[in-house]
Amino acid sequence: MSGLTDLMTMAKPNEELKRKLAPLLAKLPDACLQCARCTSGCTAFRLLELKPHEIVACARLGFLDELVSSKAIWDCALCLKCVERCPQGVAPAELILALRNEAAARELEVPEGLSTVLMSIMERGLAFAPRKAVARDGRAYGREDVGLPALEVGLSEAAMMALMELMGGA
Amino acid sequence: MGGEEPRVGVFVCHCGFNIAGVVDVARVAELAAELPSVVVAEHYPYMCSEPGQALIIERVREHKLNRVVVAACSPAMHEPTFRAVLQRAGLNPYLLEMANIREHCSWPHAHEPGKATEKAFKLVEMAVAKARLLEPLEPREVPIERAALVIGGGIAGITAALDLADAGVRTYLVERAPSIGGKMAMLDKTFPTLDCAACILTPKMVAVARHPNIELLAYSEVKEVRRTEGGFEVRVLKKARYVDEERCTGCGACMEKCPIKVPSEFDQGLGYRKAIYMPFPQAVPRVATIDPEHCLYLTKGKCRVCERFCPAGAIDFSQQDRELLLKVGAIVVATGMGLLDHRHLSEYAGLDSPNVITHLQLERLLSSSGPTGGRVLRPSDGREPRSVAIITCVGSRDERANRYCCRIGCGVAVKQAVLLRERLGPGAEIYVCFMDMRTYGRGLEEFYAKAREEGIKFIRGSPAEVEALPDGRLRLAVYDQSTGKLLEILADLVVLVVGLTPPSGLAELAAMLKVPVGPDGFLLEAHPKLRPAETPIRGIFIAGACQGPKDIVETTAHASAAAMKAASMLLKGYLTAEPFTAVVDEERCRGCGRCEEACEYGAISVVERDGRLIARVNEALCEGCGACAVRCPTGAVRVRGFKPEQILAQVAVAAR
Repeated sequence: MSGLTDLMTMAKPNEELKRKLAPLLAKLPDACLQCARCTSGCTAFRLLELKPHEIVACARLGFLDELVSSKAIWDCALCLKCVERCPQGVAPAELILALRNEAAARELEVPEGLSTVLMSIMERGLAFAPRKAVARDGRAYGREDVGLPALEVGLSEAAMMALMELMGGA
Repeated sequence: MGGEEPRVGVFVCHCGFNIAGVVDVARVAELAAELPSVVVAEHYPYMCSEPGQALIIERVREHKLNRVVVAACSPAMHEPTFRAVLQRAGLNPYLLEMANIREHCSWPHAHEPGKATEKAFKLVEMAVAKARLLEPLEPREVPIERAALVIGGGIAGITAALDLADAGVRTYLVERAPSIGGKMAMLDKTFPTLDCAACILTPKMVAVARHPNIELLAYSEVKEVRRTEGGFEVRVLKKARYVDEERCTGCGACMEKCPIKVPSEFDQGLGYRKAIYMPFPQAVPRVATIDPEHCLYLTKGKCRVCERFCPAGAIDFSQQDRELLLKVGAIVVATGMGLLDHRHLSEYAGLDSPNVITHLQLERLLSSSGPTGGRVLRPSDGREPRSVAIITCVGSRDERANRYCCRIGCGVAVKQAVLLRERLGPGAEIYVCFMDMRTYGRGLEEFYAKAREEGIKFIRGSPAEVEALPDGRLRLAVYDQSTGKLLEILADLVVLVVGLTPPSGLAELAAMLKVPVGPDGFLLEAHPKLRPAETPIRGIFIAGACQGPKDIVETTAHASAAAMKAASMLLKGYLTAEPFTAVVDEERCRGCGRCEEACEYGAISVVERDGRLIARVNEALCEGCGACAVRCPTGAVRVRGFKPEQILAQVAVAAR
């Protein structure tokens, strides 16, 4: 039993999960210096108050369970800026992705928008359904209105197979 | 120069913006040009630079100047520079007077440029008034004693002594403990390279003992220091060991048989030594010492077991303390540092647990020559700890204790965490609670990165207290600023990286040497940037942590610097002394002796000559302080360069 306790939640570190996630990460969160450069530049911080440095700090100490079940890990836009800027080669985005995988494996609730995106991809090979854009004159324009070719909608069989395999055959 | 009319040149320095940013230097020069005896007055951005110096020389020649006033920074900074300029210009270097319009004017009055300009001119006017009355003087050459005393036998003193001795200087090394080695001898490994401390230190200790130019005086203390013509006369007390150093072979038979156990100072109280002891096996000199406070024979009059078992017949209870008189030209102070007592801090005051130890105590547990043979064991029950918390900055950066940083604590904490991981295995939990991690030295940041990847938990936060639990464990609550969590750590062992203090007795030694002490209690160097190993007292140098906390790298560099400074002074064979000494007008002196009473340096005394009493000055000892001149009721004693008429001329201007 670890000698460490989070006195606010009485949680204990989950060292086993930390070991399980380690192979998914190029560098362990332990290397983190807490400079918070990841949060300073985080695209999602401005809108969703995502603090990647706190996620890394919690992971470093082994407080992973609360992260797996948190909403915060789903706020990351995976812009990968943090991966590029980290002075220690730690990749908060990679950690967040690993935590999402763990959440999915535990069959925890995934934000609704995400399943909508998944459905859309399976249906038409696009993350979002094509929409018309409203211009300054108040009119809605479709691709054909501005002389663009129509989108090829739909997922090839090979792509579908690859997608299913990625999702672990679910 | 006697009857010659004074022809004064005034040179006002801008010192970049330091002076010119506040004082209207052009105006000062303009006004100075109108002063009596002033032939030329100019201003220049950096008077101390090569073109500035050339300007002065050119004007001296052009205007046949015979006095020079430089209005610039403190004479402590550039008086020697400008004296050399006068010499190059063909003038006696003591025909220079400086007006300090930087430290005494532009810096303190930066917010009042108008008044600062007025004051700068006043200072120049005073300098001119004195310059008119200056006389040529000649510096004196005093032969120097070609020997050095090093006080303190830690790594600083050892390094300085070896460097001095290698340079050919006869060196005395005084250490108050029974062995040299100091704090470094207590360490297991050193950061960031993990060199074994003993492996790199003990060969140097042996070299000290064997060096033909070093006389090692261990178990000895400096009692009195007196200035003499060529340096210092030092009274050293060599304490009785009650063991004949010549006969003792260090075999240890006496230590085995001695019935009295005393907590070992060397093991920081974690182990025991006997009343007859060597502090550690590699001690230098390798001789036993009887501790008179605990020896049964010396306290109660019976026992003498050691005497019976000593195969060399080295025990000598009749031995007495001895006094030695050393004559040296230079002194290197290398007394090292002490450790802060954390029990003075409110958060640790009530804590009574053997499982809370200092970082130096942990070194003894880690060391293979320590009380546990290098096994890290909990003092309360001798069990191996599974969880260790290291807390840094205990009493450092703390207004209640040491305001300053200990400079080694972060390196110590990282090193000890790495060594604990190595000794206790991957299953052990090792925490480091820190305020800031300042791993600034070469290789240290890389060492810290390596430590983080060894699963040591670094927590950015300092616990408010440590609570001892009935089962011997310690509980501490710490707010981790990185996660925003309040954490609880249950530890089997808590290590406090305590602050470093001046060593005991440093204030008394400083008073004896007349070396100034800083607000932190450490010795003050002559200049923080440019003369870090010298003191303002000629012939006294400082090495290592007595000047402020230092790691081993910094200590050895500082010690070699001090040795180099001392050696270059000693090997020249003579000292150039300022000519500002007291002179006695024998016509006016009536031999009352007040000057002798006033002199701190023993430089003036009343002697009988031709049937009457008269004061006589020993120029080699005179520091030119003027205490005698002030006390003299007849005005017979005067200090060269600071004669009453010279000072009064300045006062007259100032008072106008």
